[in-house]
Amino acid sequence: MSKPVYGRVGRFAKWLISAPPLVYLLIFFALPALIMMFAAFRFPGDYGGLLPLTEVDPETGKQTVLITLDTWRDYLTFENFGRFFEDAIYLELFIKSFWYAGLTTLICLILAYPLSWLIARSNKKTRDLLVLLVILPFWSNFLIRVYAWMIILGPQSYFSRMLNGFLGWFGIEPVSLLFSQFAVIIGLVYVHLPFMVLPLYANLEKHDMSLLDAAQDLGANAWQRFWKVTWPLSLPGVWAGVALVFIPALGMFAIPDLLGGTNSMMIGNLIKQQFLDSRDWPFGSVLSIMLTLSVLLLAAVAAWAGSRHKKKD
Amino acid sequence: MKYWLVMLALLAGTAQAADELNLFNWNNAVAPATIKKFEAQCRCKVKETYFGSMEEALAKLSAGAKGFDVIGPSNYGIPPLAKQGLLQPLDKAKLPNLKNLNPAFANTPLDPNNQYSVPYDFTVTLVGYNATKLKEIGVQADTWAVVFDPAILAKIRGKVTVLDDPREVIAAALRYNGFSANSTNPDELKKAIATIKAAKPYWAAFNSQSYIKELTLGNIWVALGYSNDMYQAQQDARAAKRAFQLAYGLQKEGNGMTADSFVISKSAPRPDLAIQFIHFMLEGQNAAEITNAIGAGNPNAAAKPFIRKELLAVPAINPDATQASRLEQLADQDGKTRRAWNKAWTELKLQR
Repeated sequence: MSKPVYGRVGRFAKWLISAPPLVYLLIFFALPALIMMFAAFRFPGDYGGLLPLTEVDPETGKQTVLITLDTWRDYLTFENFGRFFEDAIYLELFIKSFWYAGLTTLICLILAYPLSWLIARSNKKTRDLLVLLVILPFWSNFLIRVYAWMIILGPQSYFSRMLNGFLGWFGIEPVSLLFSQFAVIIGLVYVHLPFMVLPLYANLEKHDMSLLDAAQDLGANAWQRFWKVTWPLSLPGVWAGVALVFIPALGMFAIPDLLGGTNSMMIGNLIKQQFLDSRDWPFGSVLSIMLTLSVLLLAAVAAWAGSRHKKKD
Repeated sequence: MKYWLVMLALLAGTAQAADELNLFNWNNAVAPATIKKFEAQCRCKVKETYFGSMEEALAKLSAGAKGFDVIGPSNYGIPPLAKQGLLQPLDKAKLPNLKNLNPAFANTPLDPNNQYSVPYDFTVTLVGYNATKLKEIGVQADTWAVVFDPAILAKIRGKVTVLDDPREVIAAALRYNGFSANSTNPDELKKAIATIKAAKPYWAAFNSQSYIKELTLGNIWVALGYSNDMYQAQQDARAAKRAFQLAYGLQKEGNGMTADSFVISKSAPRPDLAIQFIHFMLEGQNAAEITNAIGAGNPNAAAKPFIRKELLAVPAINPDATQASRLEQLADQDGKTRRAWNKAWTELKLQR
């Protein structure tokens, strides 16, 4: 039997197919990342942006380069990195944001796993309906959904009043739900939950039921069937869901802005503030670089742990 | 025959599209009825694009956004725009209505001799509050102490929001300490930051987005925000027939004030329509419609007879001489001062 045709046409076609996304990533990801790397070493401009390195004479239109071997110290600096390390508050903010994102991911996983399993095990008709229901929230704007939470968690809402009435029976002081870290976590979990459900569902749906039957026949109980068969098989879906939830949650700024109190800022808020409010692009770039590096570090650690785990098996 | 009709229609279409004024302004500043009136007069279309914060608009314009004729920045946004060569000087000969301006708002340091700009409204940064609640617990809102004094804040813990804006909140803290809102003195900044640090644990949130709603719902009792927003909140609470009254007033230590002005973009496709629009907005009645619609103050003396009576009774809209003397227009900050303020603000927000 000859090789299938697509195997030979492959190389050129592969390039052709992968070129558009590659070019896209190059222009809209690699290039900006590179610009950011340079911006981190420069000074902010008075009106936003960066301190210009060249000057145009308004009368002659002639451009002069301001940065020379003698003057480069006025244009390039380590100050922005220095600022990041000189005070522990930035590191604390990073730790807090990782904690928020990690907690969000964990809660999403705990909520999404049984749900995805249930969807994957229902009959075809119900399954489609349930998947539709999971993605239904995307039909309305993200901000509107967060505003809805502001109403639900506000002190005048039935939910808050019922909860505080209930706490009152036990003599507990009324709690304020809105503008708190609690509200931020609720918002983060709510917004990201579908991103955990969908990859998990896609994975669980493909599991071969006969494996569970075989396990049962060999005497495995329900817990063993889950822990030895379903869970290891679902790991690719779990990792996909974890990545899809953890990374966006880490960079989120709208939810802490709207639901958070005076003490619920995340890295995303700080970065946004540097670019949009403080006119300090260089420090914003430093923060972004640090964020990217810490995510990469985390991914590397996870990959390393994964490979060790595999070797052990 | 049909063919010609189509051609004519197309021509008419392009002619109409050409007569278009592009306005880049704060959202909810000029009343839709006023815009309609101008459209009828100039036989053109007005296309409005909005911004939600001055920094956002500056970022967009500095990055080279084109196609706008008239821009409506806050006055402290004028020097950055002018220094970057993004504005064109006004042809005063085409603006006889300029005489209508209240002298207090003409020729300010932010734009000497109104070379580029004509103010159309002003807002005061002040305290909006739930009058019913504050009366119940006996707290006065005519002083910045209601936002900054821990002894008073203890009674309204978690019921206070302030703008998420270093410029405005630090300015208020400076006034509370008896300094100028435009201080560039590092020691004075330090005191203002210490004031904010002491007050922060009692605040519910830094909130520029939803304090109108929170006040209207009764979730928040005291908000540091803009006078026109407080007017809006008051109207909303009334319309919703709330069991409480919202109010807003000036603080005796003085308030920061920001005028907003119309300027013409250097790259304006239609400078002729732009100047026509500014002239139109200087007419007393048209100018008054801004105040009547959004409850902002009015820098146009000729507008007064057309402003609704109950609005003229509000000090933040129509301050008397003493009150006006305590309003301080926020200046454009030099790069060094702004960096110092922003750094202090960032660290303040991060500290527990």
